[in-house]
Amino acid sequence: MGTRILTVEDDDRIRQAVKLALEDEGWNVDEADTGERALEVFQAHPADVVLIDIMLPGIDGFEVCRSIRRNSDVPIIMVTARDDTHDVVAGLEAGADDYLTKPFAPKELSARIRALLRRARSTESGGLERIRVGELEISPQEGMVLKSGEQLHLTKTEFKLLVELASQPGKVFSREVLLERVWGYDYFGDGRLVDVHVRRLRTKVETDPASPRYVVTSRGLGYKLQP
Amino acid sequence: MIRRRRLGLRARVTLIYALGALLLTSTVAASSLVLTQRRLLSETEATARSQLYRNVLDLRRGLQALPEIPDDLPGSASTATEADPEVALDDDATTTTRRSTSTTQATVPTTERPAPEVTVADGAATESPTTTSALDLIIDITDLIPDPDEAIDVPGPVRGAGVDAPETTTPFGNSFGPPTTPPPEEPVEPEPGPTDPITSILSSLDRPNGALGLLVVPPDSVGGVQREFSLSGQVSSGLPRSLVELVGFGAVSQRYDDPTGEPRLALGIQIPEFDAQYFEVVPLTELQSTLDSLRNILFGVALAASAAGAGLGYYSAYRAVQPLNRVSAAAQAISEGDFDTRLDDQIDPDLVRLTTSFNHMVEALERRIRRDEQFASDVSHELRSPLMTLTASVGVLEGRRADLPAPAQQAVDLLTKDLRRFQRLVEDLLEISRMDVGAVRPDMTPVFLREFLQFVIAQSVSPTIPVTCAADDLGLLVQVDKRRMAQAVTNLIDNAEKYAGGATSVTYAREGGHVHVYVDDDGPGVPPEDRIRIFDRFTRAGSDAGRRDVAKGVGLGLSLVSEHIRLHGGRVWVTDRPGGRAGARFVIELPIDDTVMAEEEMAT
Repeated sequence: MGTRILTVEDDDRIRQAVKLALEDEGWNVDEADTGERALEVFQAHPADVVLIDIMLPGIDGFEVCRSIRRNSDVPIIMVTARDDTHDVVAGLEAGADDYLTKPFAPKELSARIRALLRRARSTESGGLERIRVGELEISPQEGMVLKSGEQLHLTKTEFKLLVELASQPGKVFSREVLLERVWGYDYFGDGRLVDVHVRRLRTKVETDPASPRYVVTSRGLGYKLQP
Repeated sequence: MIRRRRLGLRARVTLIYALGALLLTSTVAASSLVLTQRRLLSETEATARSQLYRNVLDLRRGLQALPEIPDDLPGSASTATEADPEVALDDDATTTTRRSTSTTQATVPTTERPAPEVTVADGAATESPTTTSALDLIIDITDLIPDPDEAIDVPGPVRGAGVDAPETTTPFGNSFGPPTTPPPEEPVEPEPGPTDPITSILSSLDRPNGALGLLVVPPDSVGGVQREFSLSGQVSSGLPRSLVELVGFGAVSQRYDDPTGEPRLALGIQIPEFDAQYFEVVPLTELQSTLDSLRNILFGVALAASAAGAGLGYYSAYRAVQPLNRVSAAAQAISEGDFDTRLDDQIDPDLVRLTTSFNHMVEALERRIRRDEQFASDVSHELRSPLMTLTASVGVLEGRRADLPAPAQQAVDLLTKDLRRFQRLVEDLLEISRMDVGAVRPDMTPVFLREFLQFVIAQSVSPTIPVTCAADDLGLLVQVDKRRMAQAVTNLIDNAEKYAGGATSVTYAREGGHVHVYVDDDGPGVPPEDRIRIFDRFTRAGSDAGRRDVAKGVGLGLSLVSEHIRLHGGRVWVTDRPGGRAGARFVIELPIDDTVMAEEEMAT
């Protein structure tokens, strides 16, 4: 079905092994060993999912992520060597949708990729009615959000997050629930994914992201969409 | 060892200040008290002296003006060589006292109450009544006790026996009255009392300081009895002996206490023409009470100053310690991993050395920790890269397992298992090295313990272990760092799998303010002597070579468990399985945070 995955990794053997594993799942794999090369490849053949290692010679993974994000809402997975540093948050801030910690099993990678693809497509096949909340007008089927009639540019993940919250305005969603519904994580998802994405969502949706009007934090419990 | 409780800096400084203030103020108080006393005394004395001089002049004039010797007594006086005449004052009469030195039956008749007042001395004296000039009468005034309040003579011989009076002097007659005039033969009214001319003179004297006047005259020509004229009955004590002795040489003054303890200033002066002595006794009671109240005030001031000193000491110690509080706050922040903390050089010029060296220390520490972190990160990267390749490759093989011949399948299985083990070992190692660096902060979130344990077990090597608990605790919430707690529980399950054939059950129960999570197995158990050591890294084995777990080495798993649980504020230990069954029971103890439950209740 021609799903293309771009792997950006400077270590040859890892890149080869990952490529092997992904191709074994039936996906087409493009490779890049530097950030510059990755941007070229992406320009030439836009991928469906991008896998970026943070530690790259030349321009690093964050920069690559930001560059891609400028023109595209393609799902991006960051690969980090460590999971408890600021790398994770920085990667998510740079626009990544998800992250993985080395070494990860191919099965895990496949699961992440599938979740992202599902998310990307769910917007096309969502069955929800149009939702209005204040100045916001969310059309799940068209994958569009209007604020006072103006279209907002959300990534797939941000959009999915907003739709989840909008499915029951005023209801508090815990981070676990959002991790499961948006990212497809089981119990051990990382709550930071939710926090960072909510933050990014606010910069787009809110007039004043510092004191949000729509996406409100319910302290210690989770988030809700204020009707 | 016994540790003595030591005073803190603040307490010590406070004490020193208080003592210093006390010392200072009491020194000042004492010296000002002494100076004031001296000054008051000398002022009083100067006043009294000039008054005395004035009065004695008046007195002399008065005496000279008297026509005759007002003595009425049939002078019983004679030369009394012995000197123990006790003199008492007639208080009612207040003025005249008659003194007889003789053993005699003292003639005193005229006096209204002569008898009790005249004390008779031993009999050496000869009586020579009506001796005109009984100049030879010797008086010991030492024991002169004019005590008006008590008619009786209280006194005493305390002051010792007789003193030889100065040999005398001008004949009384000479100056007193016209020498030629013979003293009247008949006793004149000796009436003591206001009518007595000498008394009148005495009382006419001006004594604004409240002094008592006392005139001692030698035996008059008529009676030959030494007489004393005292004014009003207030002289309450004997004059000091030395004063009396010295008055013959001129003007003297002396401070003394009368027998009742009242302070007095006595001044005396000789009136040579009459061979008389005039004394004034100034009560110092008022001065004393002034000094007393001054002393009280100064005492109070000293106390207040000590209290103020203590307050000041406390405050300055507090201020002095203040910068140290910042130092300790900084040290605290650093120990919690905030290596950007620096002390402000400007805190206090006196602490520049401290702040500078402190900051240098922190920089050195930070460099070292950054280096360690860098090392850990490098090692992490170096180890993870090949592991990544291995994992991905083995994953491919695993996915194609069915296509492989049997021996290759087995090989893949072995690879898969040991690769996971290797991976976990690397992760544990990195985790521990991060902990050693000390910059680890747990990411606590509230979880339902039962659900959490079920998820952890489901992903472990023994996904079928049951989780049990009391019915009440089904919804128990705890605060955990999910990743670390999961790793801890997983490691315990791994450990049971490796050494005891697998965990048999996972149970949790409330124990006071804690929750205990039990991981049981039915293996050989852990001998008591190893129960602490197995939580050490790579177990410093060797000593017990041949023993099970310990000798083989349990790697890092259990020590990481212990580190993780400690990070949660809990403990972990191993014990026997309850009920005497074989096997080991690992216990994780975690604190229960009540606020979490409260929040959860709000949520539901």
